[in-house]
Amino acid sequence: MSDSAKLTRSKLPLSGRIVMFFIRHVQQAMASMGELWRNPVSSVMTMAVLGVSLSLPAALQVLVKNAETITSSWNSAAEISLFIEDNRSEQTIQSLLTRIRTYSEVDKVQYIDRNQALEEFQRLSGFGEALAYLDKNPLPAVITVTPTPRYSTPVGARELLTKLEREPEISFGRLDIEWLERLQAVVRLLERTVMAIAALLVLAVVLVIGNTIRLAIMNRRSEIEVMKLVGATEAFIQRPFLYTGIWYGVIGGILAWLIINLLVWYLDSALAELLGLYGSQLEMKSLTFIELLQLVGLASFLGWLGSYLSVRQHLRSIEPS
Amino acid sequence: MIDFQQVSKIYPGGQMALEDVNFHLQQGEMAFLTGHSGAGKSTLLKLITVIERATTGRVAINGHDIAKVSPKHVPYLRRNIGMIFQNHHLLMDRSVFDNVALPLVIEGFSHGEIRKRVAGALDMVGLYGKERHNPIMLSGGEQQRVGIARAIVNKPPLLLADEPTGNLDPKLSMDILRLFETFNDAGTSVLIATHDLGLIARMKYRTFTLKQGRMLGAQELHPSVHTRAPTNRGEGQ
Repeated sequence: MSDSAKLTRSKLPLSGRIVMFFIRHVQQAMASMGELWRNPVSSVMTMAVLGVSLSLPAALQVLVKNAETITSSWNSAAEISLFIEDNRSEQTIQSLLTRIRTYSEVDKVQYIDRNQALEEFQRLSGFGEALAYLDKNPLPAVITVTPTPRYSTPVGARELLTKLEREPEISFGRLDIEWLERLQAVVRLLERTVMAIAALLVLAVVLVIGNTIRLAIMNRRSEIEVMKLVGATEAFIQRPFLYTGIWYGVIGGILAWLIINLLVWYLDSALAELLGLYGSQLEMKSLTFIELLQLVGLASFLGWLGSYLSVRQHLRSIEPS
Repeated sequence: MIDFQQVSKIYPGGQMALEDVNFHLQQGEMAFLTGHSGAGKSTLLKLITVIERATTGRVAINGHDIAKVSPKHVPYLRRNIGMIFQNHHLLMDRSVFDNVALPLVIEGFSHGEIRKRVAGALDMVGLYGKERHNPIMLSGGEQQRVGIARAIVNKPPLLLADEPTGNLDPKLSMDILRLFETFNDAGTSVLIATHDLGLIARMKYRTFTLKQGRMLGAQELHPSVHTRAPTNRGEGQ
């Protein structure tokens, strides 16, 4: 520091003041951390509450993410069956097949002619004997169409079906995706629920931090009065509380991440067994590193917000008397 | 330094604490403010430090009309006033060093500067070497000195003391007053509120007397007005 700064009071050079501004921020951030460290019991309790509160929406997020992977892998199960009008010559059917194969929405086409259909029916239905009494094959020829992944969604597949039904040779088509639509509706409902619960828990986090900071302010009432008496600005007094809130958020977020990883680890083997029964090789996904950063970032923002609201409300009311 | 013109203060509820008070403390002057408890001494000090604001009249500090100071700028005004309280207002869970350093930390001084100035202030009040002590470990007189060190550490041009000798025996009280005299010698304006009339009688400073919110003539009580010329400036003032 220069000599002139030493002699004049509070009139540091601008560069010095800017440097001091950052140094003070770092100091106060560290001091807030130290403050938490010195009262481990109460701060650990608060952090645990935050960790649990944040882990719930994060766990639901993991659940939705995994449900989405599973349903998207099931999406390809969407298959369209097209039943061909009677009395169509083999030649028209072949040209229809060629036409359908050129559709950009179509991945695979399989043709089952009337005889094959009858054979399959005899084999699978158990009514084989009865069919022998019919003098004519009652079954229509069928084309099964597998859409490309983009058209495998319920909406896309239905769109493709309508398009295919416009072909004159096709009497009607059937799309066996009702169950898929239901599943997706359930997933959507789950997502909504997650959002609602997440919003509530986020609010809880803000309130918990706000209340914790309120208690901290009340505890340090006399200190705040003294600081105001010796000329501390509101910004200076509130800064340690804001940093405390941010630290609560950061550590709560990290705790939530640990809880999620524990949960995933705990559920993984059970889920693998269940999925194994369905012949699926899916592995349960935890949060990625980016998602961890998002979680901690959100948590620290919530911590800041909670303490800011609290500080705004309570710091003003403390005036020296 | 301090200028009151026809100042009245009515608290919410109608209690008239000060009524039409005029007084002027010159730059570099040391003076006493006296009166029975409830006479308005504390209210007067609160008006100077903008803890309260005057209902009517004009309060000016160093030429600045306090009514024009926005709440945002009150902290900066207070940095120019060293305040000493009867009950010390120390932070009992902090060391003596931290207590005295507080005004400097608030103003953003560097660490080395803070250490130097705190050591200097503690030296002045005779507490050198007690930086690491906790205020609880100190006697009442020593605690009061910590409060004084905190008030002077950033070398404010004005010192206000509210019953600084309230809990001290006569010898310690005298020591504290001698301390104020040394600050005054260095050019600081000092206003001491006290009801210890015996103490005042032995010193030849102007005395302002409040009675039921009204200011009695100061000169009549103490004809020998003692005003120090503001030439003897201390370094850093």
